[in-house]
Amino acid sequence: MTRHVAFYALLAILLGLTGWMTSLGRVGFFTMAPPAKLVAAVAEHLEIVWIAELLAIAAGVPIGFSLSRRSVRYVAPIISGAASVGQTVPTLALVGIFSVLIGLGLKAAVIALFVYTILPIVRNTYAGLASVDPAMKEAARGMGMSRWQVVRRVEFPLALPVIMAGIRTSTVLNVGSAAVAGMIGAGGLGEIIMTGVSVRVVELVLQGAAPTAALAIVLDRLLEAVTTWATPRGLRVPQHEQGT
Amino acid sequence: MIELRNATKVFPDGTRAVDGVSLSIGEGEFCILLGPSGCGKTTTLKMINRLVPMTSGEIFVGGREIRGLRVTELRRRIGYAIQEIGLFPHMTVAENIVTVPRLLGWSKGRRRQRASELLELLGLTPTRDFLDRFPSELSGGQRQRVGVARALGADPSILLMDEPFGAIDPITRERLQDEFLRIQREIRKTVVFVTHDIHEAVNLGDRIALMRSGRLVQFATPALLLAQPADDFAKGFVGADRSLKALRLTRVRDVMDPKPPFVGLDEGLESALRLMREHKVTFLPVVDGEGRFVGWVGAADLERRGGTVRERLTAYAVLGAPDMPLNEALALMFESAVGNLAVTDGDRRLIGLVTFNRLFVFLQQNYEKTAPEEVAS
Repeated sequence: MTRHVAFYALLAILLGLTGWMTSLGRVGFFTMAPPAKLVAAVAEHLEIVWIAELLAIAAGVPIGFSLSRRSVRYVAPIISGAASVGQTVPTLALVGIFSVLIGLGLKAAVIALFVYTILPIVRNTYAGLASVDPAMKEAARGMGMSRWQVVRRVEFPLALPVIMAGIRTSTVLNVGSAAVAGMIGAGGLGEIIMTGVSVRVVELVLQGAAPTAALAIVLDRLLEAVTTWATPRGLRVPQHEQGT
Repeated sequence: MIELRNATKVFPDGTRAVDGVSLSIGEGEFCILLGPSGCGKTTTLKMINRLVPMTSGEIFVGGREIRGLRVTELRRRIGYAIQEIGLFPHMTVAENIVTVPRLLGWSKGRRRQRASELLELLGLTPTRDFLDRFPSELSGGQRQRVGVARALGADPSILLMDEPFGAIDPITRERLQDEFLRIQREIRKTVVFVTHDIHEAVNLGDRIALMRSGRLVQFATPALLLAQPADDFAKGFVGADRSLKALRLTRVRDVMDPKPPFVGLDEGLESALRLMREHKVTFLPVVDGEGRFVGWVGAADLERRGGTVRERLTAYAVLGAPDMPLNEALALMFESAVGNLAVTDGDRRLIGLVTFNRLFVFLQQNYEKTAPEEVAS
């Protein structure tokens, strides 16, 4: 309950702030982003997040899955560990490196974000699948499931909550990272923030930053709901204990 | 139905987990693989459904060598039950039970019906609510039953069970064992059942394969295993109280005196006294005109001479049946003041008598054969 209140209160503050800043129109010599431009920036922002996230899921889940197979059980912890270390590299550094390698623009931003996003997905997919009780897998095989049937009907459903948690984390990180991508001319809300910083207009910075934060908490909320929905009922906390 | 010939499993580290085990298990037979942990009993079981690939030897199931069959096909034809941890937590009771039927492509309606049938067979009420519950919403005993129901899912003729009742309290376990025996009498599956519990083995098994360090020590009926353990290990494993364990395997009819002394209600006390002296007993069963058991007359009651048995009768209602296991008979004898047990048929007609003396002689004959060696060592 308190969580709900906090969420809506925060969201109201952020949206109110955005609306207020937009309504200012001009601050001194500088023009605020008009509403149409703000909406376009949000759309661009979401586009970067969306593309990077989808690519990361498409690549990260299979990689995490491969790591969880028995044949690579000695290498898997190393790669999973590397993924964790990779995540400590600041987004700014990563975006910088890719802008040099690929050139400024959307493409470099998406690739930098993809590389950053894929790490929690790989790690959680691997961790989720590796945590499935071996006895459970053996029971499934013992009843005559093929290798793929075990994966599809037992391993993935059981690992799903952990995998979803990885996707959720990476999406929220992505919203923030996409703002940094504005620095290399990828568009989005980051561009408004960067403009504000370069001309030293706090109102302009806020006009970009407040909706970025709002986006992050809304997506987090949305994915939480998706996770709950996707988690099999039997894996949720039991509602009531039964006696014999 | 199942035949192992020199089945051997050597693990990559060189451990000979199963070492040349040969077993032949008949159709409808309840075979127990018994032994301490690490003796290879579970590995042996898992070799039958190829969860553990054999290193050498042969295993035949229904006349066919298992490596000649597709592995998924082999496993779908064999029910498999493990400790309760094996239920899929993300599937409902119904989904769990029909795991194998689903793999075999049964229709939805038929699967649902099968789930209900099996729950009923296992003494659970297949309400909609129950079928749609998840394992986390069940009690330990219910989970165990659902586990057995799942093994029976596609009505396989063979069941492999790996300590299926291992993780529950002793009282529920014993009840489940009894229930399972009742079901087994009905469905007559060929069962291979792994346990380390000698009581469970004796209670359930038609035959027990006792294993140690990957080798088969003895393959015998429970009675024979208890009466004549093959070696010191077997003797130690079945326990010093093996004669007491054997009580529940022996029926009253095997021990009772089928021609017991008795007196009629209206006979004189003198003849009762004479019979007691003759048979060296302190209590004598009394029957009515139709041969029905009505009670006892004791030596202490006969101090005063004269009169008939009827006047000195101690009416007693506790009766033994010929099919009663000896442990129950013994309990009745302890509880009764008489210390003997009258055995009657369905019409209360006296057909036998069990005395402590007979019990003692019987146990001594069957279970004390190895006693002198025990003393010597």
